[in-house]
Amino acid sequence: MVIFSRINFVVILTLFLGLILNILPLSDILNSIKPPILLLILIYWSIAFPNQVNLTYAFISGIIIDILLIMPLGYNAFCYTLTIFLILLYYPQIRLQSNWNKMLSLLFILIPYFLMSTVANNILEIDYNILNVFISIIISIIIWPALFKVLRFIRQKYIS
Amino acid sequence: MNNNLHFRQSNLTSIKLILFLAISIFFLIIDNNLEISNKIRKNTSYLILPIYTIAEIPVNIYEDIIENFESRKSLINKNKILEKKVFIQSGIIQNIPSLKEENKRLKKLLNSSSPTKNSKILIAELIKVNLSPFSNKVILNKGSKSNIYVGQPVIDSMGILGQISEVNKKFSVTTLITDPGHALLAINTRTEKRIVISGTGDNRYLKAEFISLNEDINEGDILVTSGLDNIFPEGYLIGEISKIHKNLQKDFLEVTVIPSSSLTSNREVMLLW
Repeated sequence: MVIFSRINFVVILTLFLGLILNILPLSDILNSIKPPILLLILIYWSIAFPNQVNLTYAFISGIIIDILLIMPLGYNAFCYTLTIFLILLYYPQIRLQSNWNKMLSLLFILIPYFLMSTVANNILEIDYNILNVFISIIISIIIWPALFKVLRFIRQKYIS
Repeated sequence: MNNNLHFRQSNLTSIKLILFLAISIFFLIIDNNLEISNKIRKNTSYLILPIYTIAEIPVNIYEDIIENFESRKSLINKNKILEKKVFIQSGIIQNIPSLKEENKRLKKLLNSSSPTKNSKILIAELIKVNLSPFSNKVILNKGSKSNIYVGQPVIDSMGILGQISEVNKKFSVTTLITDPGHALLAINTRTEKRIVISGTGDNRYLKAEFISLNEDINEGDILVTSGLDNIFPEGYLIGEISKIHKNLQKDFLEVTVIPSSSLTSNREVMLLW
């Protein structure tokens, strides 16, 4: 039980950091291509501890992001829950893959998220540049190895 | 660590998935006008504001550093420019009282009864957090303590910025005029015709809607608020018509308007009463 609470503590701390990074003020161009950093952190933890960091985490952090970003309630919660469900289905395979392979699988796991956001933008009649969405996907894949290293360092140092 | 801990598959996963997705969709349908999330934000504003404040810190530090390292020479130059600006503008302002009187007299002659209100101005600062790239909303650091109300017009030095859409205790949310859900009634200063201006979701453009193909409208026409919507006071700048595209297949002209206010690069805004 001790290790469980410690996992929760560290995960919530890093998720909070991700939340701050998500709303960090950037210029307009950077803002439209920024990666969903909170979701990436969530993906790492659900690969590492699929039994602790599961759909509840995804749903709650999605709701919190919706409230903080003043978006329709449930929008990010839906996307996050779906993405983490994909992780829970495929985490045994993803764990065994090499670094390059992991980046590729991440691409496929992130596609529903970006698909959802483009569909929602069309429903809400928001003008957006489809190129920005692609750049955002590519950036999130590029920063994945670095994020992975940092979070693994945190995990090895503070958990287990 | 115990390997069982890792590979034990939870039976609850699929139930949870269906439950959470259903709740999200339920929220999305019900919370169309952000009513529920407004309520949540109102009740947890003391939790939300610290998060915004923390996110603001790096930019504030960066700006402080830049400010401290600004050279004396550039500061003197800036000061000179500002002094000149104030001098010219106070010169222009001089004849406003007489113009007001004249306007009142003329309106009396025309028997028009539009009230001339005394307006009060409050300066509010933006909280510099990035909301979603697709939402055209900004957060101000003044809330219900400063008697801000929903629907209050927000302007900057160049023109209309938007209106308050949500008031919390210590911060409030402004919907910009470029928000896709926002529209207002403008007047073309050249022809005195009314035009509906709505947002596109892109901070750089507005669009003018429902303008018939043969209407007298030119590029460069200046649009001001009409005051007919009972939200924005009359006569404030909205923007300038930048492009008119005539497509004979469609019923209306496609008109692009560039907003005059600097929607993205503001530090401070003004609230009107």
